[in-house]
Amino acid sequence: MTARTCFTLAFHAYALGALAYLSLLAQGWKGLGWVARGLTFLGWILHGIGLVQLLSAQRWVPSGFGQAVSILAFLLVAIFLVVDLRTRAALLGAFLSPAAVAVLIPSMYMGVPGRELVEGIRQPLLPVHIAVALTGLAVFGVATAVAGVYLAAEHTLKGKRFGPLFRRVPSLELLDDLNRRLVAWGFIALSLTLLTGAWVQSRVRPAERWSAAELAVAVAWVAFGVLLQARIFAGWRGRRVALLTMAGFGVLVVSFVTRYGPWVAR
Amino acid sequence: MSPPLVCVGLSHHTAPLDVRERLVFSEERQSELLRLVAQAPAEALLISTCNRVELYLSGPGADLGERARSALAGVAGEDLSSFLYAHHGEAAVLHLFRVAASLDSMVLGEPQILGQVKDAFEQAQRLGAARGELARICACAFGSAKRVRTETELGRAATSMASAAVEMAKHVFQGLQGKTVLLVGAGEMGELAGRHLVSAGSSRVLVANRTLERAVALAAELGGEAVAFDRMEECLILADVVVCSTASPTPVITREKVSRVLKPRRHRPLFLVDLAVPRDVDPEVHTLDGVFAYDVDDIQRLIDENQAARAAAAARAEALVAEEVARYIRQRAVREQVPVLAQLRARAEQIRKGELERALGNLPTPLTPEQARVIEAMTSAIVNKVLHQPTARLRAVQSGDSDLADAAAELFGLDGAPRKAGEG
Repeated sequence: MTARTCFTLAFHAYALGALAYLSLLAQGWKGLGWVARGLTFLGWILHGIGLVQLLSAQRWVPSGFGQAVSILAFLLVAIFLVVDLRTRAALLGAFLSPAAVAVLIPSMYMGVPGRELVEGIRQPLLPVHIAVALTGLAVFGVATAVAGVYLAAEHTLKGKRFGPLFRRVPSLELLDDLNRRLVAWGFIALSLTLLTGAWVQSRVRPAERWSAAELAVAVAWVAFGVLLQARIFAGWRGRRVALLTMAGFGVLVVSFVTRYGPWVAR
Repeated sequence: MSPPLVCVGLSHHTAPLDVRERLVFSEERQSELLRLVAQAPAEALLISTCNRVELYLSGPGADLGERARSALAGVAGEDLSSFLYAHHGEAAVLHLFRVAASLDSMVLGEPQILGQVKDAFEQAQRLGAARGELARICACAFGSAKRVRTETELGRAATSMASAAVEMAKHVFQGLQGKTVLLVGAGEMGELAGRHLVSAGSSRVLVANRTLERAVALAAELGGEAVAFDRMEECLILADVVVCSTASPTPVITREKVSRVLKPRRHRPLFLVDLAVPRDVDPEVHTLDGVFAYDVDDIQRLIDENQAARAAAAARAEALVAEEVARYIRQRAVREQVPVLAQLRARAEQIRKGELERALGNLPTPLTPEQARVIEAMTSAIVNKVLHQPTARLRAVQSGDSDLADAAAELFGLDGAPRKAGEG
């Protein structure tokens, strides 16, 4: 089975999984949760096989925006599956699996292999830097989805809307705690991204100043650091933290797209 | 052919409370009745709850229904025929499945009925009154009820004030374990909600009441601590869940009071249930970040939504139950085919052995053991091949009608199938 076939099958499994998660949200039948998990897991395995085939031929350095988003989608699904299995909050899948499908779409239509992600730099730490950066982005992606579910759940409670969404969303406490853990892990990944990125840059372009995208990552790092401090020392939680998580992730996405997007001239 | 089951009984659908009261059984009387009606080969099950009394009889004979009616009339000491309903065969099976799945309950989806039916079944088993077909029907009914619980939302939503308050709290907190509950006012509603919250796992209960003696009494009952009413703000810092039920004409928990405690609480979520009329909690409190306040109208709306959700889930539950009844009927039909198959095989084997013996006897010289084995194997193979198709077809009967088995019995000249004996 070629990498392309694996990606196509994985895409379809994810899409069917997303449909099952959305049906779970609409119907509330627990069995659908297992169908959705099964399909998503199947898609993830196929996706992983495809990525191993592809990256092993490229010395484990992704090439082009399409491959980068494909890895991002793979990591998003992996983190989501771990979170789902630990918390049994299958409803998160209704928010995350369509997002994973959407993230995967560009990689399906951008050809393999794509353009060099970072041309001319083949430092030994580069694959680590890319892996940590994409993992951090994926962790913050899941944290943002959790924050989105938190806001939706809070909206139903504050609006006193006791419909199907009210009955199916997890408790605010669970979502807030999940957000705290994910932001903490994401912050660690972001710190490592900055460190490894600075090291790679110092070896390749020591005289060059930080780009706007890199500065945006540094700003996001400071923002998430402050957020964690506020959580620990001032007891910040809930809606405010959910909104800040989403904003921080937004900054990271903008930075990622402006730095590596297919339209960026190198 | 329908299962040999009859159900005769009355319930909240057919009989008012004063009639149902007259049919309240002590455990001894239940046992006595079961022993009386479940003499072999008959089997019996008696479901007796505050909303229904139903006697299920299974076994041969066309008078099962009449026997059940007279047994119930004997217990009541009067003619109950105008309140009684009766279901026969498949309808009786369906009724038992619906009762176990709480589709026939006064509060649709209430969880107690399944336990009550299981208790009734255990009692019948203990007395030897449920041992064959009735035990199989009950096992299928329990399986069906479990499917309804797991695959529909029939029993998931609360339908009483106190349980709805707990359900709401569980949307804010992951669980109530380790949470502190503050009861403001020692009224009956507050006490009931407090009991629900304690049974849901709350670890600490604080009771604040204007009359400290009542607070002390309620705190003692709930295993909590009584606090002076003027220390309520202090308690608001500690509490996760607050239940208010005072008779105060003005709100006792205001926006200002709650705003002041948010920082000392380190923004922990605060959940308030206001069961008082007029309200004890200023509605503006709900607008504060991390504070969730609900009054009796909100809780009633949740109960209404839950009841509507249960009604919607009931349609799916009915379909599941019908599916499970059909599965039971199919399994029974398959079980019924086994004696026909066994008879068919035995008849064929008898013919094969007789003919083989006769043929071997007609031979001028006896066969060697090796030759005899070959002939034996050949005749067995012929019989097996001839019977393969009828056997497979009889085993594959899925429709529940036993025409095929009747036809096989008729064609091969077998004795009457035992299913005839089960009709009732």
